[in-house]
Amino acid sequence: MVSSVTDTTIPAAAAGIADIDAARLTLRGLSKRYSTDPSVAAAVESIDLDIEPGEFITLLGPSGCGKTSTLRMIAGFETLTDGAIELDGVDIAGMPPNRRPMSMVFQSYALFPHLSVRDNVSYGLKLKRMSARRIAEDVDGILAIMNLSGLADRAPHQLSGGQQQRVALARALVMRPKVLLFDEPLSNLDAKLRVQMRHEIRLLQRRLGITSIFVTHDQDEAMTMSDRIVVMSKGRIEQVGAPSEVYRRPASMFVADFIGRANFLDADVEEVHGDGTATAAVLGDSLRVPAHPDVVVGDTAQLLVRPESVRLSTGAAERSDRVTGDVGRVLNTVFYGSTVEYEIETDSGNLIASVADPVADDVLELQSVAHVRVESSRAWLLPDRS
Amino acid sequence: MTLTLDPTSTAAQALPPTTKRRVRGVGRDPSVAIIVAVVVAVLLLLLGLPMSKLVMAAFSDEGLVVFTGLFTNPANLRVVGNTMLLGLLVGVCGTLVGFLFAFAQVRLKFRGKRLLHLLALVPVVAPPFAVATATITLFGRSGVVTSTLLGLNTDVYGLGGLVFVLTLSFSPVAYMNLKGMLENLDPSLDEAASDLGASKARIFFTVTLPMLAPGIAGSFLLLFVEGIADLANPLVLGGDYTVLSTRAYIAVTGEFNVQAGAAYSILLIVPALLVFLVQRYWTGKKQVTSVTGKPSGRAELITAPALRIPVLALVAAWVVVTITVYTTVVAGGFLKVPGVNNEFTLDHFRFVLAGIGSKAMLDTTVMALIAAPTAGVLGMLIAWLVVRKLGRFAGVLDFVGMLGLAVPGTVLGIGYAVAFLVPTEIFGFQILPPLAGGAAALGGGLAIVMVYITRSLPPGQRAGVAALAQINPAIDEASTSLGASGATTFRKVTLPLIHSAFATGITLATARAMTTLSPIVFLTTPGIKIMTSQILAEVDAGRFGNAFAYCALLVTIVLAIIGLINLLLRKVIFRGLLRH
Amino acid sequence: MRSHAMATAAAFGGAALILAGCSSSSSSDSDSGGGSLTVLCTVQEDQCQQVMDTFTAEEGITARYVRMSAGEAVARMNASKANPEFDVVYGGGADNHVASAEFGLLEPYVSPNADVIPDEFKDADGLWTGIYWGMFGFCANTDVLDDIGAEVPQSWNDLLDPIFAGNIAMAHPATSGTAYQAMWSQVELNDGDEDAALEYFGDLHSNILQYTKSGSGPGQMAGRGEIAVGLIFAHDCVKFINEGFTNLETIYPEEGATFEVGAVSLIKDAAHPDAAKQFIDWALTPVAQEIGVATGNYQVPTNPDAEVTDDMVDRDDVAVLDYDIAEAGAARDELTKRFDAEVAPQPKE
Repeated sequence: MVSSVTDTTIPAAAAGIADIDAARLTLRGLSKRYSTDPSVAAAVESIDLDIEPGEFITLLGPSGCGKTSTLRMIAGFETLTDGAIELDGVDIAGMPPNRRPMSMVFQSYALFPHLSVRDNVSYGLKLKRMSARRIAEDVDGILAIMNLSGLADRAPHQLSGGQQQRVALARALVMRPKVLLFDEPLSNLDAKLRVQMRHEIRLLQRRLGITSIFVTHDQDEAMTMSDRIVVMSKGRIEQVGAPSEVYRRPASMFVADFIGRANFLDADVEEVHGDGTATAAVLGDSLRVPAHPDVVVGDTAQLLVRPESVRLSTGAAERSDRVTGDVGRVLNTVFYGSTVEYEIETDSGNLIASVADPVADDVLELQSVAHVRVESSRAWLLPDRS
Repeated sequence: MTLTLDPTSTAAQALPPTTKRRVRGVGRDPSVAIIVAVVVAVLLLLLGLPMSKLVMAAFSDEGLVVFTGLFTNPANLRVVGNTMLLGLLVGVCGTLVGFLFAFAQVRLKFRGKRLLHLLALVPVVAPPFAVATATITLFGRSGVVTSTLLGLNTDVYGLGGLVFVLTLSFSPVAYMNLKGMLENLDPSLDEAASDLGASKARIFFTVTLPMLAPGIAGSFLLLFVEGIADLANPLVLGGDYTVLSTRAYIAVTGEFNVQAGAAYSILLIVPALLVFLVQRYWTGKKQVTSVTGKPSGRAELITAPALRIPVLALVAAWVVVTITVYTTVVAGGFLKVPGVNNEFTLDHFRFVLAGIGSKAMLDTTVMALIAAPTAGVLGMLIAWLVVRKLGRFAGVLDFVGMLGLAVPGTVLGIGYAVAFLVPTEIFGFQILPPLAGGAAALGGGLAIVMVYITRSLPPGQRAGVAALAQINPAIDEASTSLGASGATTFRKVTLPLIHSAFATGITLATARAMTTLSPIVFLTTPGIKIMTSQILAEVDAGRFGNAFAYCALLVTIVLAIIGLINLLLRKVIFRGLLRH
Repeated sequence: MRSHAMATAAAFGGAALILAGCSSSSSSDSDSGGGSLTVLCTVQEDQCQQVMDTFTAEEGITARYVRMSAGEAVARMNASKANPEFDVVYGGGADNHVASAEFGLLEPYVSPNADVIPDEFKDADGLWTGIYWGMFGFCANTDVLDDIGAEVPQSWNDLLDPIFAGNIAMAHPATSGTAYQAMWSQVELNDGDEDAALEYFGDLHSNILQYTKSGSGPGQMAGRGEIAVGLIFAHDCVKFINEGFTNLETIYPEEGATFEVGAVSLIKDAAHPDAAKQFIDWALTPVAQEIGVATGNYQVPTNPDAEVTDDMVDRDDVAVLDYDIAEAGAARDELTKRFDAEVAPQPKE
């Protein structure tokens, strides 16, 4: 996978673009209602978020969660029902979209079909009434960075999807925006290209240090690109955190389930320790595992176990047939090549186990039984709230 | 109203499907607010004022007599009934003819498609009376075809003749509509049905036709309105078959009762508006064509003789009739007394080109050239506001713009006469001088230009709406996010993308402007001569030869202007566009 | 970009103001002769043009005109009553002028040249003065008559012959003064009995192919051979014949028919009253009245000194019914309504 954006090209040409002070964006109590009827849920409900200068933050969630509405309010394409948007401390909620120092990359790229690549990229600069010489310099520069120099005079329809994407990006970047907004820009690309573009965008953003807000419903994108992820559901923020945080320590069952794959096992909370761990009875054993602060003794909680954290072993269990304690029965087997996955039935609930680098002989058969063990340091105990 | 045109925005092909978006832009964008204010003011002047004055006149004492008499006076009821029947028949026949042509053009395999397309559209540029007088000459009691050739004694005056003439004149509208829809049908639907076992006939009746239903309904309604609104043809060809438009005309010119004329006009507006509203509601709800607007392929052309032969035969027959009629129009100007004394002469053309004729040509052309681009721009602006900028009020604005078409010509003319022959006053203060008639500024030409604009606005607006709807709103947003104000976006991005629709809009606008008659009759002035009212005078006096000569010239001028405008737009103004 | 839009708005505003100023000044200044004149002309277009050109050449006042049918003219004058567009209305049957007078649109003016005009051709109060007159009659297509095997009809009575079924046309009395002449002829022939007159038309109804909208329509239809007989003004029939419809024949009904008087009137509150009066004076002279024949119109001039050609009707040869124009005008509304209700809707046998 060869990157079109090379490390060596960036420092030279990006000097001009990189010398913007990264901006801080703060959302306070941001809300959006499309209907005045109180029984109808708000699209966005009281969002508070502080985005660090130069940060790449992703708004992630299923469709209808409010991520796009939030982005559009930041861009100015939607009016706020309530709240404030502060750019470096100044509330810009009343500013019309064309005055905000932000650029947006659209899902459909929204390239002007009647203009060449060069004209597309220089469009915004011409509106600023810069000198023709300076415009040419900036445009040539960004085209070089994005490896589009040879295509400058082509029409958008003559470009491939990936090239169009890069033109859209170039057009946004050349404006030296204080904030860069991305509205699901990779959704229309095929899988391989998507992966490549993720990498390129992230690389570029890191080099240029522009504060960026990325909206997607694809958790892989969120995980691989972001400094922090904002997981949203039904207009509210479920959790804000670094990818590892969100993966390992999800704030709710929704987040746990949305990111990565999750197994939930019923667990009885026996004891809560002060250090962020708790002991719970699960799979016929008492495990001490990291726990969500809201976990309470006596409750039935849910133990989150990722498939890769499940350990299976045969041996003494072969004789025993019953599913009890830590004994589980294999219901289904799927061989992926690099991994094999088992669906296992246990006392505490069914779970998926993912075993890496399997050897053919070791693959468990259907209806066979195995001991199921959980890597306690990888598990996470959540209060049982749907 | 789905007055769609050839899928012009091929530019949109490069973009993925449109997502539904609500774009708010008016509140905080002052340039857009100004545009809205200007557009509203213009529409108030063009339509609001005359219509309100008309309504006031209609509900004055003399007007009320008509309304109350509606249910007691059987003559009035008969007139209303006649009008409805005429509209119904024209709607059905016109849609049928248009459908046949569209179906043949899009679905059947044969050579000469380009020719058929042009022939189907010929009636668009035809002046009023042309077809009616040609019909009398050809198919009347002593018509060349019916009497001389076939020895028949046909009475072409009345309902039959009217339906024929109006169908001939308006079927291009249905044709364009249905052609566009047929072209946009996704053939994968047909393929899916076929895959499931449906025969071609079954596919046609259970898949194709239902998908076309909005287009068919739209065409029918549009033709209904055009049919009942027409004045020129019922005057010449109606015979004893009186309809509301002629009744209004007679009220004004025969009985000197403008108020009664206004009342009849209101009766005429009511069905027209109802039909319009129903149609808007209906087509607004359904989203039948595929989301992208661009199908994934082309349907296979039908070669089966069982279908080709009858359809093509019918189409050919109609083409022959059309050609005959229009040839008569052109040739008639060269005959001494067309149909009776077929001696070749240049007298008629001499009459038309000298003196009044040449002044009429000049005046009409100049005014059409002023009005058509204005209507084009106004239509595009309104379309832009409606599709992109206005939320709740979009529907209202769209509707008002279309009133120029919904309101029958006679009605408009009377409204203009009532409103603009005298100064406009509010609370005793004169805000506008008379704009029509001999005492007005610019010789009363202003009112005529205004009428031209009003009549020409709807096609441009519809073309604009159709074109804009195909463009992804994200493009507007991209422009905004790069720093452009609403007006700049319109100028630099939207307009270039819809310039093809713009060209079509202006073309139609010009054709309409130069061939409009019914509103003009009430606005003629000494300083300005209009070709269509000259034609009326000649027809009235029975000098068909002169009338045909005028018609031939009118058509020539219209075609020349259309060609010129198209050339100008493509080569000069939108030069250098990257097009497919 | 904001300033761009502002500028456009300002331009619009400016234009509106200019318009407002422009017109209110032009309507207030009155041109007392010498400059120009606007005429509402209801005779044929070419005659209008020649009349205006001749007047302009002879009198030195620029005469401009708008041509429309007589009925439209009345409506138009009425619509712009508050701010008259025209100075003089030239042509059109006296009944239209009577109607205009009733609407308060005319101003009496007795021209010195009116002395020579016979009394029956002018209004006693000077509201209108006759410039031509013409007889009502039949216009028959001899070829069609041969086809249906009929003789040339010579009287109103002849028209009732069933042989003419569907072969006669006349204008609708409501639309045109022409057809109303036919009606009033019958009224006069029946000594003022309106019922009897309507009965005649009831009888005639089955022979009528169509009640045309325009006054000259029946003549055109006869000319084209679509019907056998059209009921129109005799001079219109002559006009058609001279235009090339050689198979037409003009007939003056034996029992007699009424005549129309074409008139000229001064419009009330005209912008150029003096020029208007000059025009009226001129219109009554033989020179002015002879223009008609030069443009192929065969009405008889009212001025006894004007030349009368063979194409024109000879008063002594035909039966002319005298009638009171004012009386006819007054009864028109009601009679046409009755026609509409009692005659027109009847089925034809």
